[in-house]
Amino acid sequence: MAKVAKREERIASVVMTVFAAAYFAGTFIFIPPTTIKQQVGPDVFPKAVGILMLLVSILYLIQQFRGMSKEADEKRAAIIGAEEKLETKADLKTMGIILIIMFAYVFFFDILGYAITTFLAFFLGVLVLNRKHLARDAMIAFIASFGLYFIFSLVLRVQLPAGPLSLLGL
Amino acid sequence: MDLFHNIVLGFSVAGTPFNLLLAFVGVFLGTVIGVLPGIGPMTGVALLIPICFGLPPSSAIILMAGIYYGAMYGGSTTSILVNTPGESSSVVTCIDGHEMAKKGRAGPALAAAAIGSFIAGTFATIMLMAFGPVLAQVALKFGPPEFFALMVMGLTVVTSLAGRSMLKAVFSTLLGLAIAMVGIDLQSAVQRFTFHNLQLMDGLEFLVVAIGIFALTEVFVNIADMKNPKEVTLEKIKGGLWLTKDDWKRFWPSSVRGTLSGFFVGGIAGAGAAVASFVSYGIEKRFSKYRKELGTGAIEGVAGPESANNAAAGGSLIYLLCLGIPGSGTTAIMLGALMMFGLQPGPLLFVQQPAFVWGLIASMYIGNIMLLVLNLPLVGMWVKLLKVPEYLLTLFILIFSFLGVYTMNNSVQDLFLMVVFGIVGYGMKRADVPAAPIILGMVLGKQMEEKFRQSMVISDGSFGIFFSRPIAVAFLLIAFASITNPYWKYIPMGFRKLFKRAA
Repeated sequence: MAKVAKREERIASVVMTVFAAAYFAGTFIFIPPTTIKQQVGPDVFPKAVGILMLLVSILYLIQQFRGMSKEADEKRAAIIGAEEKLETKADLKTMGIILIIMFAYVFFFDILGYAITTFLAFFLGVLVLNRKHLARDAMIAFIASFGLYFIFSLVLRVQLPAGPLSLLGL
Repeated sequence: MDLFHNIVLGFSVAGTPFNLLLAFVGVFLGTVIGVLPGIGPMTGVALLIPICFGLPPSSAIILMAGIYYGAMYGGSTTSILVNTPGESSSVVTCIDGHEMAKKGRAGPALAAAAIGSFIAGTFATIMLMAFGPVLAQVALKFGPPEFFALMVMGLTVVTSLAGRSMLKAVFSTLLGLAIAMVGIDLQSAVQRFTFHNLQLMDGLEFLVVAIGIFALTEVFVNIADMKNPKEVTLEKIKGGLWLTKDDWKRFWPSSVRGTLSGFFVGGIAGAGAAVASFVSYGIEKRFSKYRKELGTGAIEGVAGPESANNAAAGGSLIYLLCLGIPGSGTTAIMLGALMMFGLQPGPLLFVQQPAFVWGLIASMYIGNIMLLVLNLPLVGMWVKLLKVPEYLLTLFILIFSFLGVYTMNNSVQDLFLMVVFGIVGYGMKRADVPAAPIILGMVLGKQMEEKFRQSMVISDGSFGIFFSRPIAVAFLLIAFASITNPYWKYIPMGFRKLFKRAA
């Protein structure tokens, strides 16, 4: 397990450094110059943040690849009560499927409307995660999605996309 | 006289039937969140902010404060009965609390936690009443350089206590600041990182990031781990739910020590509720008459830490209300929410919105009493919540996240961004990068930049302004110390090396 954690931390340190570098570079590209004369222009603060971020991530990168002692970190964690590290292996397949459901949910949100999309997403989620009580869970999915829709759109008057339900006049 | 007038004002705001109802709903939902495994107080508060939309600000904050307190409270119940802390600040409670439950003394343990929390919460509220206005008066004299230095200090103190590695915590804070820079710069009308996207011009919505990083990350963590389910054994509650005479005798000193140490260490020094509870346990271990029993189910091990973490939570509200600086992740989320309502917490709040501030303070008293009444008799009901299957709970978190984020702007793009931040959040969790500092950086980022720029205008572009004002210098020194102190011990080592080489 320790090995997995170590590899993950190395990947993280690379990702962080790349992100910081990209952000810093971005401050030159995505912040156009102004014509107004100011002591501190709109690009100064982001640049400072970017360079600090780059500095910190490079330090972290060095720490990971040169293998510095973790003793201090562990002591610190015990004093401040840091959360436990995630060390179990992730079930990436299930996570991937749920992620696809989430993106599909966003995609169909306006097309099918809130109630129908939510019902489908919830039920698909049940199918992926646990199929032991399908009838009960389908009922729960139905009550939750349509119930929330009616509470929000009719009682609280919060607009949610109706989708095909609008044809029924709901 | 003035204070009396303010208290009356406060109770007249908080005492309306509608606000009383909201306080009740708040502590109720908060307790549910605290009890439910897999939903920490930050996730809970972030998820429930959308139900505050459409309420007037004073009602909204009453609801939010109730949720906050309730979540702190509810966490201890699961610590004692199931040995799984709801949040990091009730980790210590597990040690003796669960031992007590195993011995059949779950009732007194729960009662000690509840009463200790009540005492500490009330103490913190009284302190807020007494010193809040004074602090606000002092802060009113601050200029932009002092505020900038104060924010730097707020960020670094919290950062220095987040997560296992200081470097990662600092990175996380900076990432929050970086995210805050997205959108149109109000002083020059320049677009920053908007990629000509219309919605990004207003900047990234704070709830999108908060719900993505906390709620969705918890969803992913739960799903990734569902194949290896945790064994949950619930201790039964036998006997009475109240303290015996002997318990009371042992309860008082610990609770008082916990309250004081929690308030000053966790609240005033900004160390946070988790550290406060650890410190309090340490104090009990040293000073309690029954220190030998600690670890085997001593009531001191529950009364002290539980008082401490609530006193700390109350203490960090003082900073939030008087200075506009959040002392913890959860208060950062509350700050973000207040800003969404168009309120700017800070010294001016006391002057300009007395009804709001004192209404909140009064509601804290009311909420604390409600919690005490609500928690003990209903403990059986809370325990039933633990039986909700994990996958259903996860799916519910999911649909509430989507619903909450959508109702904010009616924007599908926000939903998409939320999912993206959920993925980022999970990646951070796996790499053990703390997420709370992001939220802190994000809520403070815009203001920090503004104060920095104002200072530079005053000084005509010289950094000297931050070093020529004593208060600003003091803040910056504390900030520097809080972030560098783990490395101090290397300094003598470095000197020795240096001299060895010279000799």
